[in-house]
Order: sequence, then structure tokens, then C-alpha cells
Amino acid sequence: MNFDISSEQQILKDSVDRFVQDHYELDKRQLLVLTEQGFSTDNWQTMAELGWLGVSVPEAHGGFGGNEIDTMILMEAFGKGLVLEPFFASTVLGAKAIADGGNEALKTEMLPGVVEGSRQLTLAYAEAQSRFDLEDIITHAKSDGEDYVINGHKSMVLHAGSAQQIVVSTRTSGGQADKAGISLFLIDADAPGVEITSFPTVDGQQASEIKLEGVKVSSARLLGELDNGYELLNALATAGILALAAEAVGAMEILYKDTVAYTQEREQFDHALSDFQVLQHRMVDMFMEYEQCKSLLYRATLEVVQNSAGAQRSVHALKYYVGKMGTFIGENAVQLHGGMGTTEELRIGHYFKRLLVIDAQFGNSDHHLALFAA
Amino acid sequence: MDIDLSSTDLAFQQEVRDFLTTNAYKNGTDYAEWRLNWFKLAREKGGWDVTKWPEKFGGPGWSPTQHYIWEQETAVAQTPWDLPFGLSMLAPVLMSYGNEEQQDRFLPDIRDRKVNWCQGYSEPNAGSDLANLKTKAVLSEDGTHYTVTGTKIWTTLAHIADWIFCLTRTSDSGKKQEGITFLLIPMKQAGIEVKPIITLGGAHTVNMVHLTDVKVPVENRVGEEGKGWGYAKGLLAHERTGLAGISKSLAALENLRKQAGEVKRGNGTLLDDPSYRAKLAELEIDLLATEFTELRSLASAANGAEPGPESSILKLKGTEIQQRIQKLTVEAGGIYSAAWGPMPVGHLFARGGMSGYLSSRAYTIYGGASEVQRDVIAKNVLGIKKSQSK
Repeated sequence: MNFDISSEQQILKDSVDRFVQDHYELDKRQLLVLTEQGFSTDNWQTMAELGWLGVSVPEAHGGFGGNEIDTMILMEAFGKGLVLEPFFASTVLGAKAIADGGNEALKTEMLPGVVEGSRQLTLAYAEAQSRFDLEDIITHAKSDGEDYVINGHKSMVLHAGSAQQIVVSTRTSGGQADKAGISLFLIDADAPGVEITSFPTVDGQQASEIKLEGVKVSSARLLGELDNGYELLNALATAGILALAAEAVGAMEILYKDTVAYTQEREQFDHALSDFQVLQHRMVDMFMEYEQCKSLLYRATLEVVQNSAGAQRSVHALKYYVGKMGTFIGENAVQLHGGMGTTEELRIGHYFKRLLVIDAQFGNSDHHLALFAA
Repeated sequence: MDIDLSSTDLAFQQEVRDFLTTNAYKNGTDYAEWRLNWFKLAREKGGWDVTKWPEKFGGPGWSPTQHYIWEQETAVAQTPWDLPFGLSMLAPVLMSYGNEEQQDRFLPDIRDRKVNWCQGYSEPNAGSDLANLKTKAVLSEDGTHYTVTGTKIWTTLAHIADWIFCLTRTSDSGKKQEGITFLLIPMKQAGIEVKPIITLGGAHTVNMVHLTDVKVPVENRVGEEGKGWGYAKGLLAHERTGLAGISKSLAALENLRKQAGEVKRGNGTLLDDPSYRAKLAELEIDLLATEFTELRSLASAANGAEPGPESSILKLKGTEIQQRIQKLTVEAGGIYSAAWGPMPVGHLFARGGMSGYLSSRAYTIYGGASEVQRDVIAKNVLGIKKSQSK
């Protein structure tokens, strides 16, 4: 049993911490938020040069061949900086879908570009009616000779506006909420019949609604098995939850530490706010829940890496707890900063918004509590 | 990073399991005899009777992982009852601050479970503010003995104790943490009166202890006069980390799930009730988190590091979890939880449920109330200093 990261991972951590420190002051970040694509192409290239975009891509395809612990190290640091580049959509979700589910030719065609930063991917899994159920899919793909034809509507797809390819979950058989009969395809964002409408999300990131009308895709672009795509989709959700939880833990650390610092500076009633026990105890609770989230993050991540029997339950436990405590820590950070906490000027509000969005992705707190209890 | 047990640890786990199975209590045999023999056999294994003692004093010198395995295994196996007062609370103080003569005099009897100790810390006006204690110890002019007068309260099992280790006041000057002296006092003597206090669960566990002109030889003073607070503080830290009880709570939760599965509700059982189910799930998740917080804390201790910030939360989280398990046991008992005493009604588990729940309210009060724990974390972990008020 050992909770220390390896010396290689320490080097990774040092470099990503430095990147966040150098490039993610709040002012700089907020300027990026206002750009059309919502992130910096220079930063994206730096991430590629440092090998991060291929962190989980197999070495055979130009990647680093790392596991969920390496991704956790990057995402926790990104959480501390509220990093905007679409690493999560492209590497954690998109590249994994191809690496785990694509044929050799497709991997050779797609993955090197992802690693080099010239190709950006994303995953379209949600639909308007599906809420948090991955298997609730109306969008359907119909066989047409060597091809499939996709019709439907995908919701809240991260960074689809700047992606070249999109992994789409579709129904190829079965009823709307069946786990059987799901198939994943990789489509080109500029294919005929794909209509992408992009908009900002509350946390300063970008998402899109995607209309698919008679979109033709070759059967060579099938990811995973025909009709048995749920397993791959769930594996992507698991990887997504671990990565988002790591990002959330990074954001929580900033929130509780900023609050401790602010209450020691701010004076009211001739005292620093931190002199008041009621506030001290609230901050202790924020700190404790941050540590508990970190413990569950380690637990779930290590169990997934080691393929332990309880891994799936631990992932549910993690997403439940991070959702609940992210809200708790965020709300209290705002509360303890008083009026200033409610403004866009301080950075804490931005971290709070990111935690709220993380709760809503891949199933919120209630959803995962129900799955854990089932 | 990994969570595998090494092959050495797995072999150790098997050895512990074998020992606990082989030496489990067999119905119909004499319990007291089995108990003492169990400790003897554990001692022969190489200090398994004093698992937390350092090797120098006969302990097994286990790694933190081995301690964790022991906790896990003993939480589900039947082991003889044991008391922490001499073994885990006084012994470390004697090992660190007692002289060799005191170590030779007291440690063997503690190890053999021959002598029962109790802890004389709290007083009617010194609870969370322990340093406010007033029990007076006056040194005789010839310097041979102290005369002790005062009242101790919440003294667990004072009524069966042979000795009490006591914090007493030998000086009123300076800060109140100064002038406190650590004395060892035999219980069975004139001038000591033990009065029972019955707590909400109906049990007689704690007492009030009056000391009136009790003579204590100076040989029974641990360390220097006036330095007792420092000795006791180390001990309190020790007490706090021992109170999380994660392995026991995991076993208790399993048990609770089984009990709830026996309670009929509609066409199913209580486990089919979504709100009860959700409470069980939330409790289990808190336990999964706290278990890993403990493992992180053990791992940093294994590296010889000071306990990290994560260790400070174990007492708080651990005791809250224990209380919630008790509460859910009462809820599972339903209307029968109201029956008091040894009534032959309802589910077996429900009979002790309410009493257990009421007793558990003390968990977040003793060993430093949860509010005091939060004060300590705010100061020592978050680094919040009192500002200069204007």
C-alpha cells in the first residue's frame, strides 16, 4: 500500500503546476473565456509539446501510455487553475473511445493527431430526454450497405464547436432505455447533415447542441462492438468521472484555502473574521470535506486502475460525494467572503461555478447515490 | 500509488486469521480462563498482546499496514474484552516520561491485565477546558509525599479500578497549563470515595471520584512537578487517533444491513424503503472515505512523516459515523425501540438499540468534544492565529 506518486509522476506534477501558475491568473483566463473558441491555441500547443494530450494514449500510437493516476495528476492541477483547453473532452473521453474501441487503422489515422494537438475530439452522449441515463438514447443509426446513417439530436456536447471528430452514442436496436442495442460511431464534425450550435456554459467553457440528419458514417468508424457499445460508453463515463472528480478536488483546495486567507485579512467588529469561532468551524468542515473527497478520489482511481471488485461502487460514491461537497464548499466560500464573494471580481465564484457544472456532468449527486444504493 | 497488500502483508493477514480462528472462545468453557490464556498465547506470538507498544517494551514492531490488518481482522473476530486505560493511555506516558523504576513497577501488571487503571482528568469545572482543573496536591515539608484533595468526574470504570492516574494542581502561578502534576494513586484507600453516575443509556460506566487528604508518595509522581500538562497532551493525541474505530464501524454497518433485512415492511423489508436505503448508502460512503483517510494517514506515518492534516479529522468523522450507525439501529427497531430493559419483545437487536444510541451521544464529547477538535484543527492545521484585536 502506497499513496506516493512515482518520480516520473512527480515530474509531470511539477510541470503542470508550473503551467497553471504561469498561464492561469484569473485576468488572463477571463480574456480567453471571451474568445470565440474559448481557449488558447498557444496553451493547447504547449500541452501537446509537453506530452499531456497523449497522456492516456497507448505508446504504439505516439502517446505516453499512462493510466488514470497520470490523468488525475493533470486534472487536479487543471482544477486549481480552471484550465479552459479541451483536454477533458479530447484526451480523456475522445482519445480513450478510439484507443479502447477503434480498429487499428482508425487508431493509426486518428490518435497521432490528438497527441500532437492538430486533432481535437469530443463525446456526444447526452440527449434532451436522457437526463443522466447513459442508455437512454433516441438518436439512431441504420445500416445502409457498408455505411450507417445517423439521425437524431445530441445535447450539451463539450467543445464540439472546435472539434474535428465527434464520438456519438446511437441506438442500433432495442428500446429507448435498453442497455443492449447501443453503438458508438466516430463522425466528422463537418460531415454533411451535422449541424452544430455552440454556446458558452456558466463556467466559461463551451458546449454545443448537435443535430444529425442523415449523417453517413462508414462501419470502419464503429467504436466497440455493434449493439454492445454500452460497455465502452460506461467505461468512458467512468474515466470522465474520475477526471472530473480530480479537477473538482483541485478547485475545492483553492476555495477552502482562499477562504482561510481572506477571513484572516478582512476585519469587522475590530477583529479579523477568522477570530470568530462560528467561521472557524465552517472552514474546518470545508477542509475536512475536501480531504474526504480526496480520499474517495484516491480510492476510486486506484480501484479502477487495479480493476478491483468494488471499483464501480467507489466511482458512484466518489461522484455523489464530490457533487454534494463541491456545492457545500462553494456555497460556503461565497458566504464567508460576504458581498465580495458574490462578485465576478474574486476568483472563488468562478471555481464555485465550475464545481456546479461538474456535479451536473455524467450524473449528479442524487443519481449516483441511487446507483450506489441499488 | 497502489492499494495492494504485499505478499508479506498477505502472509501476515493469514497468520492473524489463523490465530484468531484457532483461539476463538468455545461455548461452555470458562470465559475468564480463556481470556487470560488468549493474552498469553498472543504474547507468545511476539507481542500480539500489546500490539501498540514499541518493540523496546515488548511490542511486535508492526508496520502501519500490519496494524491496519490487525484492526480489520479483530473487528470481525471475537477477541477478549480489554480496557484502554492502562494499556493504551497510561503505558505510553510511563514509557516516555516515567523513570525506569516506575516502568518496571507498573508495566508488567498492565501487560498481564492484572491491574485495572482509570483516568483522573476531568473535573466538575474542567471538561473541554481541562487545564482549568483544581484538584490540589500539596507537597509535604520533608518532600516525601503529596496530599491530594479534589473531585474527578466522568471517571470510566473507577468502581472496578485498582489505580487512578491523575492530573493535579501543584501551583496556581503562571498560565493554567503550568503547575499541573501527573500522579499515580491507588484507589482502595481511605479518603477516596467513588459515586456512580448513571448515564442516559441506563448504564453505570462513569463515576464521580472524591479525593480527601489522600497521601501519595513522591515516587508515584511521573516526570517533573508542574510538567504534567505536557505529558497528558501527548496522551490525548494518542487517545484521539484511537477513537475513529473505522474497522469496527464497517463491521457494524454490515450487521445493521443484516438486521434491517429482517425487519418486515409491507411486502418486503426495511431495506426496500428508499429513504432508509439512502441513509445506509450515505453512511457507507462516509465510511469508505474515512477508511481511506485513515489509510492515507497510516501511509504517511509509515514513511516516518508527522501525521498529515488528514489524520486530524479521524476522531471527528469516526465518532459521527458510530453515532449514525446507532441511530439507524434505533430506526430499524421501529416501535420496539421504545421498550426498555430486558423485555422479551421485538427484534433481538432492538432491545439494546436505544441504550446503545443514547450511550453513543458521549462519543462526540469525550476525548475532546467535537467543537474542541474543530478549534484544534483551525489552529494547528488551517493555521488560523488569533488576530490583534483593537
